[in-house]
Amino acid sequence: MAAPSLPGSGLLKGLGLTFKTMLSPATTAQYPHVKPELPPRTRGVIALMEENCTVCMLCAKECPDWCIYIDSSKETVPVEGGRTRTRNVLDRFAIDFALCMYCGICVEVCPFDALFWSPEFEYAEYDIRELTHEKERLREWMDTVPPPPPLEEGAVPPAEIEAGIAAARKEAEEAVAKAKAAAEGGGEPEAEGPQIDEELFARLVAEGTPERAARAKAKAAFVKAQKRREREQGGDQ
Amino acid sequence: MSETLPHEGGVILPGGPGEAMSVEIRDGGLVTQEMNLNIGPQHPATHGVLRVVIDLDGEVIVRARPVIGYMHRGFEKLAEARDYRQIIALVNRHDWLSAFCNELGVALAVERLMELEVPERAQWIRVLMSEWNRILNHLMFIGSFGLELGAITPVFFSFREREDIQSFLESATGGRLHFTYTRVGGLKEDLPAGFLDASRQMAATMRSRNDEYRQLLLGNEIFQARTKGVGALAPDVAVDYGVTGPTLHATGVAEDVRLSEPYCVYDELDVKVPVRTNGDSYDRFVVLLDRIDASLDLIEQVHEGLPAGPVNRKMPKTVKAPEGATYVRTENPLGQGGYYLVSDGGKTPWRMRMRTPSFSNIQMVPELLEGSLLSDMIAILGSVYFVVGDVDR
Repeated sequence: MAAPSLPGSGLLKGLGLTFKTMLSPATTAQYPHVKPELPPRTRGVIALMEENCTVCMLCAKECPDWCIYIDSSKETVPVEGGRTRTRNVLDRFAIDFALCMYCGICVEVCPFDALFWSPEFEYAEYDIRELTHEKERLREWMDTVPPPPPLEEGAVPPAEIEAGIAAARKEAEEAVAKAKAAAEGGGEPEAEGPQIDEELFARLVAEGTPERAARAKAKAAFVKAQKRREREQGGDQ
Repeated sequence: MSETLPHEGGVILPGGPGEAMSVEIRDGGLVTQEMNLNIGPQHPATHGVLRVVIDLDGEVIVRARPVIGYMHRGFEKLAEARDYRQIIALVNRHDWLSAFCNELGVALAVERLMELEVPERAQWIRVLMSEWNRILNHLMFIGSFGLELGAITPVFFSFREREDIQSFLESATGGRLHFTYTRVGGLKEDLPAGFLDASRQMAATMRSRNDEYRQLLLGNEIFQARTKGVGALAPDVAVDYGVTGPTLHATGVAEDVRLSEPYCVYDELDVKVPVRTNGDSYDRFVVLLDRIDASLDLIEQVHEGLPAGPVNRKMPKTVKAPEGATYVRTENPLGQGGYYLVSDGGKTPWRMRMRTPSFSNIQMVPELLEGSLLSDMIAILGSVYFVVGDVDR
């Protein structure tokens, strides 16, 4: 350091800086009055998109703190012209934020995009039991989930996200084209539901094949034929 | 002193409440009694729950014994019941001031066992994040060391910068302290747009701020009187005790894992290791300031050289390290960190041993304290940089 010219000069130099800082504008965050602007990736609270949840339990299994509670039940869904199917119904989905360590593993492992991070953080409670957010509360947090930020230059977006975006774009374009065609063609309604090859069905039933098997075969034949037609059309273009 | 304690061959110290104490000096000179004193486990100077039991002869410390274990949470055992992704979230927490460097060590160990090649861009970003984490850590100690010596301003300054750095690290990682940004095979996700600009700006600000810290404290006569020549550590003693990091560099030994066993892309960068020679509290503090500058140099090199590309490898759903063992050393902010990972081929490690820098650094606290004055204790404890969570694990 500088030669000891005057006793206390070093101290005064430091104090001079303190004084200069005193005159510069304060950097204090005026928190309760001014809300902080948090980046979209902030791990504030976990939101649940209940509609996307298939009760696969991956989040509950992967959670290092075991703070996700899931109850589910099986529901039978009758299917017309087929076996009845069973479906998992989400009865309870709760996250205990008193235990959660905000690592984000549940959000990362969710294969169906049912869990999201939201930067909201003001949910302190006087009673610790209130920190267990049930699915209704977790669903409400969904409204605060921001879209993911764009990536830095030179970044390669993950393949599954690119594929998802491409698929969504294609679907949207098709829907637009369809709507346009429908508007131009005078609104000719398209047949809905699975169609079958009536000719084949009639022949198979006449031959003595059981009706269900005949219907399945006829349906497969129709789908095959439709695909061939589509392929030929695609080849023309 | 309420009672008169007899002392063999010495003086009798009379004195009770309301009584003036008179000391009689006989032929052998003043004989005093040793006094046993507990510092901690709750003490403002100990950065957490460290307890130091000292024996005092007057004001001179005769014996000092650090008592550790108040924060033992069994990380090594916990890791045996967690898969590798969960371990990364776990090791964020033993040394909470160097979260990114810790998780990097675990990821490197698993990647070495699996013989994985991590994408180039991920390695560069890992270096960038480690260096910012190093600066965050050093800022904490710069601020608190001033505070412990009675200067309250440095901590305001350093926390102002910490806040800014944490804010832009949060935009990339989502966390301010526990980043959980590394994954085995790369990173969680790429940097968000605007991160590099914020990083460049912060690096420039940080450079000028670092000069302010120097101006604020180093010239201060009180600061110099309290730290120069206090707690001097000899290089051979430091090496014997396994002391690493800034505490070692202050003694003149330039051992740094980033140079001696480079990981990530440190071999492509120009790593400077600031070294001082006296090994006292003052030098340990100056080394911290110099290390911030050295880290800023590295950060600027990363800004220049960051390649484009993916940051992640395609990984199986459950990461399983093949059977075997490996030891990975990393240069953590406080010194050398190491993970010895033994895997039996399952999705959790069979054993994970941690070598934490704070644990080795705290071993030589008795060496430094014995023979020094009680009033220097804080200057010594505050400059042997350790985090108690990292000591006890």
